[in-house]
Amino acid sequence: MSVQQDVRPSLQTEGLSKAFGGVQAVNGATVTFHEGKVNALIGPNGSGKSTFFNIVTGMIAPDSGTVRFRGQDITRRAPHRICAAGIGRSFQLCRTFPRMTVLENLLVAVRPTGLGQLVGSSQNRRQVERARELLRRVGIDHLEGSLAQDISYGQQKLLELAGVLMGEPDTILLDEPAGGVNPALIGRIGTLVKELNAEGRTFIIVEHNMDMVMSLSDHIVVFDRGAPIAEGTPSEVQQDPRVLEAYLGV
Amino acid sequence: MTALITQAVILGILLGGLYALLAAGLTLYFGVMRVVMIAHSAFLILAAYLAWAFHRATGIDPLFSLIATVPLFFLLGVVMQRFLLSRLKPATLTMMSVLLTFAIALIIEGMLGFVWTGTQRRISLSYSTASLEVFGANIAVVKLVAFGLAAVSLLALYLLMKATSFGQALRATIQHKEAAALLGIDTEKVAGYGFGLGLATAAIGGTALALDSTIYPSLHWHWIGPLMAIIVVGGLGSIPGAAIAALVLGLSQSLLQIPLGTTWAQTVFYLALFITLMVRPQGFFGGRLAQRF
Amino acid sequence: MPNASDLATPTPTAPDTGRPDDSAGERFDRRLGLAKAGLGVVAIVLALMVPWLAPDAFILSVAVVIASYAAFAVGWNFVGGFTGYISLGHASYSGLGGYAVALLTTHTGINPWVALVLGAVVVALLAVPIGIASLRVRGASFVIVSIALVLILLLVFQSWASVTGGSEGLRVPRPFDSSVLRPEQHTRFYFLFLVLIGIALVVWWLIDRSQFGAGLKAIREDEDKAEALGVPTFRYKLVVFVISAFFTSLAGGLYALWFGNLDPVFQFSILTGSYMVLMSLFGGIRSLVGPVVGAVVVGYAMEVFKAQYGDSQFHLVALGLLLAVVVLFMPEGVVPEVLGLVHRLRPAATSIREESAAQLLERNRAIDAERRAQTEATSEREPVEDPRHATTGKGRS
Repeated sequence: MSVQQDVRPSLQTEGLSKAFGGVQAVNGATVTFHEGKVNALIGPNGSGKSTFFNIVTGMIAPDSGTVRFRGQDITRRAPHRICAAGIGRSFQLCRTFPRMTVLENLLVAVRPTGLGQLVGSSQNRRQVERARELLRRVGIDHLEGSLAQDISYGQQKLLELAGVLMGEPDTILLDEPAGGVNPALIGRIGTLVKELNAEGRTFIIVEHNMDMVMSLSDHIVVFDRGAPIAEGTPSEVQQDPRVLEAYLGV
Repeated sequence: MTALITQAVILGILLGGLYALLAAGLTLYFGVMRVVMIAHSAFLILAAYLAWAFHRATGIDPLFSLIATVPLFFLLGVVMQRFLLSRLKPATLTMMSVLLTFAIALIIEGMLGFVWTGTQRRISLSYSTASLEVFGANIAVVKLVAFGLAAVSLLALYLLMKATSFGQALRATIQHKEAAALLGIDTEKVAGYGFGLGLATAAIGGTALALDSTIYPSLHWHWIGPLMAIIVVGGLGSIPGAAIAALVLGLSQSLLQIPLGTTWAQTVFYLALFITLMVRPQGFFGGRLAQRF
Repeated sequence: MPNASDLATPTPTAPDTGRPDDSAGERFDRRLGLAKAGLGVVAIVLALMVPWLAPDAFILSVAVVIASYAAFAVGWNFVGGFTGYISLGHASYSGLGGYAVALLTTHTGINPWVALVLGAVVVALLAVPIGIASLRVRGASFVIVSIALVLILLLVFQSWASVTGGSEGLRVPRPFDSSVLRPEQHTRFYFLFLVLIGIALVVWWLIDRSQFGAGLKAIREDEDKAEALGVPTFRYKLVVFVISAFFTSLAGGLYALWFGNLDPVFQFSILTGSYMVLMSLFGGIRSLVGPVVGAVVVGYAMEVFKAQYGDSQFHLVALGLLLAVVVLFMPEGVVPEVLGLVHRLRPAATSIREESAAQLLERNRAIDAERRAQTEATSEREPVEDPRHATTGKGRS
């Protein structure tokens, strides 16, 4: 496993564990994701990736272990505070606010800077402009007045991504961005990730689509039974016998 | 004084048994459907009225009304789940089901008052005034019968859950509905039966209640509060948790009656509810499930 | 390894739904806006004229009762409408508001109007710990606590007779001197309720359009998602909960001053709370005027029902049935339903908004099939696959 000199830690966990009843979903996971890179988290179904994501973003409290973001301890912080620290996330089965318009979906993510902005109109011109810009960027600006429940699943995925970007996170966690969408859209999401990464944003992606993972990521962490079993560049991971074993059960 | 305390302890346990049975029913509904069933205690009072009416009409011991009310309530539960609750949208199920069951409670209360008036009713049996002396404490026989009924039903429920394949399906559905469905369990059907079982506990509890209590249509409001408190303290969705919380709180209520009197002793439930939510919102015996609701 | 891309078939583009409004549609919108404004003005004028339209003092007192229902419903809707948390126990706050006014005026002798506001502030402060306890977990516990609170307050206020008067009742000093006769009293209180409703609606509207309101509505739609997007959900819920308690308490205090006598059984009644829910839900909890419309319609119906059949047990059955019907068949409420109908009349079948997701899917699929038949057209816009139809063999981790 080669560790380059220029690696800076972004999100780090140490000994993270969580059990549900008798099932150890995450089991002493110690992982470091690289700042400024596209990191991927892969593993067989039920290997604890989603639970890991949920712990890191504060949706679930871990039984033990710590989560650090750029050296700062963020374990057990409320999700909105983790978001404020600069981590944005998407959900596995794409979640939007169904009975709000596409534009409103984005305006929710505006972080009010003071009481004035909190009680002031959510349709603040500057924020609306920024939201429209993001919608243009993901290519659904023509739908801004539609309710989120009325747009297609692929459009909802793009909407969710735009919503995450609205919070100006510098680290973005995507839970299965290619799940349930067709190849053309997968390509488009991949391009977006590359562009955003080039602008300096760090990505951590849970994904089953190996084509996407291999073409997109700089650093891959492989999970099995709630803990990492291998990590490295795409080519390193592909050749790792432990990975093949975990996936194929050889 | 010791006799007084012994009496309070015994009465507390007897009361706790009834609470435990009823709380188990509430937990079942919540487990299978994520529904807070406000009408549970209204059905309890309905069963008590049916037992009373049965006794008045036939003169036979009200316990025999169970032969009819238990299957009837089971069926009612299945029907309620299938035709009312499963119609609600999943997204707003928790809130809307509360309102729907609340509406059912109002309808039952209103119908009870309409059919049998608001007059207080009480069954008088040959053994109504009989009592046993246990460790120097006087315990009414009807209370023992009521407890026995509750205990036997709880045991039956426990065995059903642990030892039968239906019980296994029920537990799987409670723990993780989607996973259970993936295993080939017809979770909708199981949820219906779970609802039926829950309502059956109300039938049994109501009959037990009718033996030694004065009943009137709005009595259900006095039961729903404590029962709700019990299931939250026990951890929503956990039947053993509910049973333990029921016994502990029933006992506390009974003991607190000595210094505080009956009215203030009831506040122990609400105090426990409040403390639980502040200190341990997932309940004292609940697991992952309770955190999300 | 199964791979989404192996199974997903490319589908041609979904139709561009954001087509520019045609002029007929725009004209329709303008007319609708005018109609709404006109209706609003007529409603306000009618509401203001009620004291002169009412033939006798009894009808006028019914109008005051309905106005109080509207004030309660609007107060309730701060928490119910924005966050979707249904409180069945808001009688706690109206009851506390009533007792606060009564006790403050009798014991300290301060001006009853000052006592009204002061009482509501005290109740709002009490609502803070209650909110902290009941909003920590999701919906179910909130409902349980809301019901438990009414029951416990009933218990306490009945037992603590030395302060509250218990079941004997507590007399509330009249705020107007005795020279003001009954019909005049009704008129004054009627307008006071209208003012209260007006203020509450303005606050509701301000929140609705604010960043705070956007966060609250996001909580109603998907609380986890709102958290992940940085909305401090707990704090937001707590604030709106306290605002709701404040306005409900004001309405309760005003009612106490009008009615002049408090009995715990009526002040802390589960039924009072359920009226608020039923009225708001009936009118539509997501709209500004929904609770008011609901209060007028349901309140009027209930008063007529009471006048016809007396305060019998049938009253409960009717209330229960009505609530069940609303929950099962029109959970969105009357106002949104009617608006939806009106929008369907809009020329050019237009905006996609009134289509359900299922209808949209159906239409998209029809169009897809048509296009596929014509050509294997390449798509310029995002071609998408609905996950409900993509049989990806992939499970979830």
